[in-house]
Amino acid sequence: MARKPVKLAWGVRREGRSLWTRNAVRGVSVRGERRKTDSRIEWRAWDPTRSKVAAALLRTNGDPSRLLPETGSTCLYLGASFGSTVSHIHDQVCGSQNHHGGQVVAVEIAPRAMRDLSELSCHRPGLVPVLGDARQPQTIAPYIRSQADWMHQDLSIADQAKTFVRMAGAFLRPGGTGLLSLKAASERLSDGDDDSRFAKAAKILQESDLEVIERINLKGLEEQHVVFFVRKTIHSG
Amino acid sequence: MRIHYDWRLARVVDSDGEVFDELNWSPKRSVRALADRLSDLQSGRMSPEARTLSKRFPDAEVNGMAAMSDLDWPELEAEEQEMLSEAAAILAKRGVADAAADLDRRLDMLSSAAIELRSSWTTSEARCIEWAGLFLSEADLDGQRREIPAAVAEAESIDAAAAALDVATPAHQPEQAEWVALNGHAVGVVALAERLGVAEAATRELARQYVPTLSMLVGPLGASRLVVLAGGRERLARMPSGSLQVLGARGAMAAHRRGAPSPKHSPVLFSLPQVSRSPRWVRGKIARYMAGKCSIAVRVDHFDGEPWGEERIAEINQECENIRERFPKPPRR
Repeated sequence: MARKPVKLAWGVRREGRSLWTRNAVRGVSVRGERRKTDSRIEWRAWDPTRSKVAAALLRTNGDPSRLLPETGSTCLYLGASFGSTVSHIHDQVCGSQNHHGGQVVAVEIAPRAMRDLSELSCHRPGLVPVLGDARQPQTIAPYIRSQADWMHQDLSIADQAKTFVRMAGAFLRPGGTGLLSLKAASERLSDGDDDSRFAKAAKILQESDLEVIERINLKGLEEQHVVFFVRKTIHSG
Repeated sequence: MRIHYDWRLARVVDSDGEVFDELNWSPKRSVRALADRLSDLQSGRMSPEARTLSKRFPDAEVNGMAAMSDLDWPELEAEEQEMLSEAAAILAKRGVADAAADLDRRLDMLSSAAIELRSSWTTSEARCIEWAGLFLSEADLDGQRREIPAAVAEAESIDAAAAALDVATPAHQPEQAEWVALNGHAVGVVALAERLGVAEAATRELARQYVPTLSMLVGPLGASRLVVLAGGRERLARMPSGSLQVLGARGAMAAHRRGAPSPKHSPVLFSLPQVSRSPRWVRGKIARYMAGKCSIAVRVDHFDGEPWGEERIAEINQECENIRERFPKPPRR
């Protein structure tokens, strides 16, 4: 079933229900994903069942390109894990040999995951792996070149929303885009059922200087997960 | 007055954004030196330039994050960005390599290997006994249990195995291929037992070094399991003893959340004779008491306390005895 590709951003496009990013390292898949060449550009499949950002792009009610970072921007990724989503963000932000001049700072606490991530960064200039606790601004501050235009947080800890507010306060530029992936099972059990846990997180976000634009439910792609799409408010004066 | 700094420079800025003083990192920069510098900054230390400036301006407020939001802060040059990436890669590699210095991870590997070996040994050993017993109908599967795998492993045929075990030859012979499989299985069981012994001995040794007091209290294997289940010695030390009491009782805790009564003890605590050999109605009480003592023991180990002696352990065992004597009869319903 061939569908006409829809361009979401410079390096991301959608074909029917699948997403593709412009592969920054030709001929190499990060986690064995499919590749295809279309008029001399190589595209790499972005699996929405494995990446919450990709799932959010498919599930959002609005224009999916709002969720994506711009090419050449500064991005912060907290909880980078083994780096599959990070690699797609890097495709979009930096491009091959970082010809866009972007920076993606990927923070991860587990040495096992960092091993793969640092291997990834060897072939992808612009990707900065940081081994450390993503809840502490000081572990990240020395690496990031300026305030971030885009950030994503995906940690398996309770009280993610509080951490997100703190980190966005420290690192996100006013007007910058933030994505928070929230897993119901990681939140505290005493907070009731899934919906009330998400509602609690939404409340925490709303009480900060972040504006919640959309709450994206990933049902069907990633169960019991939501992605909050926020924007940092610009204070006048 | 504030001091803003990053790895390249430090500045004294007043509230209007005017720069009073500025220090740059020396022009002789190297990637290695930058990596060390970044790791210092990451652990919350000031850069040497910031330190000098804060001596010059003792009233100034130092803020390591402010360079982020300072609009006049110089951007990274291409060369600097290159250097930063290289240094970050070095630091990431260094961090991955340093994970091997973490005794929590080492104990996790060792103890998990021992546990997995034990579980596969029990399965294989039971299969080996049943398999050999099928042919050797005269063999005493309880009394000779320890000898059977070795006898089958070393024998040339099922008859030789029967002779080694001093029992009658089997009424029905296995096929040649079948015998080879049985013999190979027995060889595996013997080898597995050896590997299990080595792994457990190594776990015991490491646990006795790493958590000496807890090892005395619940045995080195139990102690290492507790540490591994908690995800590290520090986390175990900071854990409330009520959590320690049910650590590892995952299924029971999940049932508890759905309304079942709370578990009295984890499998680790149940493996203690003080708990498992006590009557049912005092097990919870003893487990709670022991969990409290375990909490204190691991805190002694983690926060560099004086390790307990035999005497202290004897006192604790005596107290368990006292609890048991205080409740000689089951509670009335």
